Amino acid sequence: MEGRLVPRSEAWAQAVAERAVELVVSALDVNALLDGVDLNAVLDQVDIERVLDRIDLNRLLSQVDLNTIVERIDVDALVEQTDLSAVIASASGGVASDALDVVRSQTVGLDEFIARWIGRLRRRPYTGPPGPPDGLRAKAGS
Amino acid sequence: MTSPAADAPPSGPPVIRDSLQGKYAGFASRFTAFAVDIGVSLGVFMLALGAISFAATVLTGTDIAWHKGDTWVIIAYAVWAFIYFARSWGASGRTAGMALFGVRVVRDDGTDVSERRAALRTLALPLSFLLLGLGFVGILLGDHRRALHDVIAGTVVIYSWDARAARLRFLSRS
Repeated sequence: MEGRLVPRSEAWAQAVAERAVELVVSALDVNALLDGVDLNAVLDQVDIERVLDRIDLNRLLSQVDLNTIVERIDVDALVEQTDLSAVIASASGGVASDALDVVRSQTVGLDEFIARWIGRLRRRPYTGPPGPPDGLRAKAGS
Repeated sequence: MTSPAADAPPSGPPVIRDSLQGKYAGFASRFTAFAVDIGVSLGVFMLALGAISFAATVLTGTDIAWHKGDTWVIIAYAVWAFIYFARSWGASGRTAGMALFGVRVVRDDGTDVSERRAALRTLALPLSFLLLGLGFVGILLGDHRRALHDVIAGTVVIYSWDARAARLRFLSRS
């Protein structure tokens, strides 16, 4: 008789406890709780260096199968997405493009010089090359 | 009052911090590009005349002498110059000289110049010269730096090269 009563009372007690936990959890406002937590203060107390010291990188890397990762990389797609012609052009046309940049820079400098003087004669301060709206700029190819 | 450095003509590569791309091109860039174009078009034209003379000498045995005052030579050069400028502007918005100096012609709303508009601009170009050069004053004084032939054709000339990227390239190599 006593053996049957004890398990039954335990089951009741457990059901009551579960119900009580459910009620408490549903009554809690988690967002309000999180708002009250000062994460910066928590992070200030974390000793990152000590955490890093405890990480065994060699052991971690030994478990990574690099071959599997490399096999999963689609090299063809990678090459297709790379503008190789642009890379080759920028690497090989160094001297020529440098000379071109210098010539253009000098001419723009002359443009600015003339424009500054014109601005001075007109008593209008020169504030740099006049620019059209952004739309015009966006359509201008190099 | 500007600083003395600002008044001095540029002696080294200027420090251009903005891209300049899409800004209206100034007088010096446009004029030097045009001078290069005249040189290129004249050079090609004279080479063509030389080639014709050579071919005539080889094929017929008679020498052809060209004189710059010949009406036919002037007409031929005018036709060639029209083709050179109109085709270049219509095809890519720039001539060889403009490509060299990083400027290009676009419509005043930023879209590409059509063949027709390019032809109109080419035909209007002599007008800017014929009015004692007054057609070019707009490049110096106008807010949009437009010459008379730009106004007639509804075009503008803009910088097409990225000065800031050029400066970064220069710094990365130095």
